[in-house]
Order: sequence, then structure tokens, then C-alpha cells
Amino acid sequence: MSQPTQHALVNVDEIEVVDGRTYENLEGWIPELASDEDLKAALEKAFDYRGDISLTFKSGEKVEAYIFNRSTGSSLANSYIQYFASNAPDKRKASYADIARIEFTGKDRAAGKHWEAWLKKYAEKKAAGETNIGLHPEALD
Amino acid sequence: MAVPISQMWTVATYVLKKKLSGQKKYPLVLMLEPLFRCNLACAGCGKVQYPPHILKKQLSPEECFAAVEECGVPMVSLPGGEPLLHPQIVEIVNGLIARKKYIYLCTNALELKKRIHEFTPSKYLTFSVHLDGQREHHDMSVCREGGYDLAVEGIKEAVKRGFRVTPNSTFFDGTDPNMVRAYFDEVMAMGVEGIVLSPGYSYDKAPDQQHFLGRAKSRRLFRAILSNRKKSWKFNMSPLFLEFLMGKADRNYECTPWGSPAYNIFGWQKPCYLLQDGYADSFKELMETTNWEGYGTASGNPQCANCMVSCGYEPTAVNHGFGSLSGFFAMAKAALFSSYKDKGALDLLNNHTTFAAQHDHFVKIDSIAAAPKLEETRA
Repeated sequence: MSQPTQHALVNVDEIEVVDGRTYENLEGWIPELASDEDLKAALEKAFDYRGDISLTFKSGEKVEAYIFNRSTGSSLANSYIQYFASNAPDKRKASYADIARIEFTGKDRAAGKHWEAWLKKYAEKKAAGETNIGLHPEALD
Repeated sequence: MAVPISQMWTVATYVLKKKLSGQKKYPLVLMLEPLFRCNLACAGCGKVQYPPHILKKQLSPEECFAAVEECGVPMVSLPGGEPLLHPQIVEIVNGLIARKKYIYLCTNALELKKRIHEFTPSKYLTFSVHLDGQREHHDMSVCREGGYDLAVEGIKEAVKRGFRVTPNSTFFDGTDPNMVRAYFDEVMAMGVEGIVLSPGYSYDKAPDQQHFLGRAKSRRLFRAILSNRKKSWKFNMSPLFLEFLMGKADRNYECTPWGSPAYNIFGWQKPCYLLQDGYADSFKELMETTNWEGYGTASGNPQCANCMVSCGYEPTAVNHGFGSLSGFFAMAKAALFSSYKDKGALDLLNNHTTFAAQHDHFVKIDSIAAAPKLEETRA
């Protein structure tokens, strides 16, 4: 399991405002997996990604899945991910050692949904004379 | 204090039993997320950004009951997503009531008025209605004009039918404390049992807002809001947690991340309700395999640096209040002397623009202008 990064010695009680983290646009990314470290780093990003990932296993099987957990051990063989495939109801587990290719194919569901984007949209709609302005959840089908 | 005696007694005896048995780490409230689906699309929400096949999944009532029994908590919070979208939410609630668990059903209340007849009033059931301020501010906060009116209709109907109701508010950078105090007057006049509040938190995997309240600003904000209290205001929270938010001396609490464990379709969330650093398949595994020392402000973990959120710090306050004589006397004092007179806080109220200097989240709707393109960020 990844360990949290320690930050420099600051008194957190004196912090006035906390900045957000820089957004990383990963949609469409296909990482090169030249080494074990590449694979581990890519799966860590896949775990953070708010969209589906296409996984190709060394067996040739291909799965579109949402990766919700990862656990890293001393080797690829004892490291694993857990995921929900988009076409199956149950949780699945796969060893890092069985993964051949990772593609960030699914839509990033977190992208562009920050507060400032809402203010901008609101202002535009208001200026256009719209009423009952709001953001609505995306359709599930 | 607005929390009923029977609930306080249940929690107090639970904490004392744990203390007497020598158990150091134990949960107080299960954050049971039966689904992530929601009928709002609030900007910056860290709970609903998932692919459709994940949003369609939900916990069964049996899975909910098993999780509650596995961790043994006296209280269960049902957030989400929007729990009222779960087709078996009534069965889940009734099953938890039958198990004598104190439930906080967290809802945006868009559907509450329509669905309220399906529920039965009980001392075990509280509707915790998401309300982030007065009409204009709440509507902006939930990104839906009309959201406030629907929520208030739901609150009034629930109160009329004899349910316990607590508005639940999150305050972000830019909040005007005078607005919050006027909002307190408004909701207490609706007949709610008490108010629940918390500072906002930058979710680890959510679309980000550019800035969040740091601890120094949070303490000033809550000192301004919660000092010089009106007698009519009641809070459905530990008074010691409120003192922690206000930055009172002796309330320099550390986080208790295991105090409010979260369970959802992925399993038991590590390490807490807000951070998602992985999942465990059982509560035992969660407790035994999470690197607890890696979280909280003392750990130096930057993800915890700005957090003063109730799910981590209220369990600390409750354990202090019911688990030690000094804490118990502090709670008694807070109940007897609840006005918190503070001239400095009045000065803060009169100079509230200090809270909105950089980033106006609670802007007047009419004053919003089209913003230049902003670099996208993500926490």
C-alpha cells in the first residue's frame, strides 16, 4: 500500500488557505510499461482516475473496468488491483504480474467539474436570460 | 445541547464500555454509503464522480446490516450519493431502527416531501438535510436554483410529521459569518432539532475548488460564527467539537480516523470517510492493516493538513467528553455557559470581508460575471 508523503515541517494550524492539486489530464493516455516501476506508477494513476480503464491481461483477455483498490507488495506477483468490470456485477481481483497493457479509455468523470466552471456556466446562462439554472447528473444509460 | 438524552446515554455507555475493556481504537459512527448515485451534480463534490456502471450499483439491505453489525457502532450515518434514490432505503432504515441504531439519513431533500410518508417517526431516525446557507447561497452551493426551496419544504414536512431533523451545512472559503448566523435563525425557526456544521474539505479525488479553508482561517471563521450565540440556536454536535472549530484552548484535538469508518460498494474505505487510499474487505482488516500513524495532522500527511472535518475530529471530542472526567466537566460547562461571549469575535463579524478576500464562493448571484478561462485543478 502506498504511504502518504510527508510534507515539510509547517505548523498546519497557521495555514490560511490550502491550494488544490494540479489537475492531470489522463483521459486517452496509454502508458509505456517498460519496467515494473512503470507498471506500478501507471496503476497508481489508474487507481486515482475517476473513469474506466481498459486492461489487457497477458492471457489476452481485455476488460473495461473501474479500478477502486490497489495493494502493492514486494513484487508484481504479490501486488494486486481490485476492480468492477463495466459488464459484470462482482468485484474482481488481478495480480500486477498478469497485466500487459493499460489504457485510460473511459471518460474522466471529474474533469472540468470545479467550482469556477459552475460560476462561469451560471453567469453565461443568466446573461442569456435562462431560469431554473442548474447542473444535472449525467444520464446513466 | 440538542441531542436527546437517550442518544447521549447510548453513546456515553458505549464509550465507557470500550474504555473499561481497554480497547483503544473503536468506531462511533458508521458512514454507510448505500450508493453513489445522486440527483444533484454539485461542483467539487468528491462522492459522485464515477462511471455509470458504478453509479448504478448499490448495497443491499443485507449488506448494510452486516456492515453495521460487523463494526458494532451505536450510530449510523447514511450519506451517499442521495440515499432516497436507493429503492430499498425504507427497508434499510427500518432494519437499522430495529437494531436500535441512531441513524442520520443525509439527504439533499429534493425528494423528501414526496417520500416522507414511507417513513415512521422514531427517536432513532434523524433526517440530516444538506443545507449550506440561505436560499441564494445554498442554491449556488448545490448548483441548482430552487434547491433551497425544495429542501426547506422537505424539512418543514418532516418537522410537521414529528421527525427529528437537523440541517447539515458545510462552509467553504469565502463564507460570510453574518450570513451563517442569519441562516441559523432561519433554520431554528423551522423547528429543527439542532444544526450540524463542518468546514469544507478538498476531496482527494474530486474535481477541485481552487482554494480551501486552511486551519487558521477555519478557526477564525468558526469563532466569528459560533461565539456570542443566541439562546435559540441548538447544535446536534459535540460542544467540544464546536470549541475545537472555534480554536478554544485545550481543544487542540488530533484526528480519530477510525471513529467514523466508511463502508460502500467497494468495501471498507481506508483510512477515513474523506480520503480514499484503498479498501479492506472486512472491518477487522481495515482496523488491522491501515497505517493509522500515516494520517492526521501529527503525521505530516499533506492530505490531512487542512482537515478539521467532523468525521475525524468529532469522535475525538466525543471520546474526550464521555471518556474522561475533564472532558465530562468541559461538556457540562459548555451546556451551562453556551453563549461564548467574545468581543474579538464581534469584531470579526463586523469585518467579515477578511474571510472573502481572495475567493468569493458565496458571491451575490447578480454580481457573477463570466470568468476568464481557468486552469483546471484537481485535489
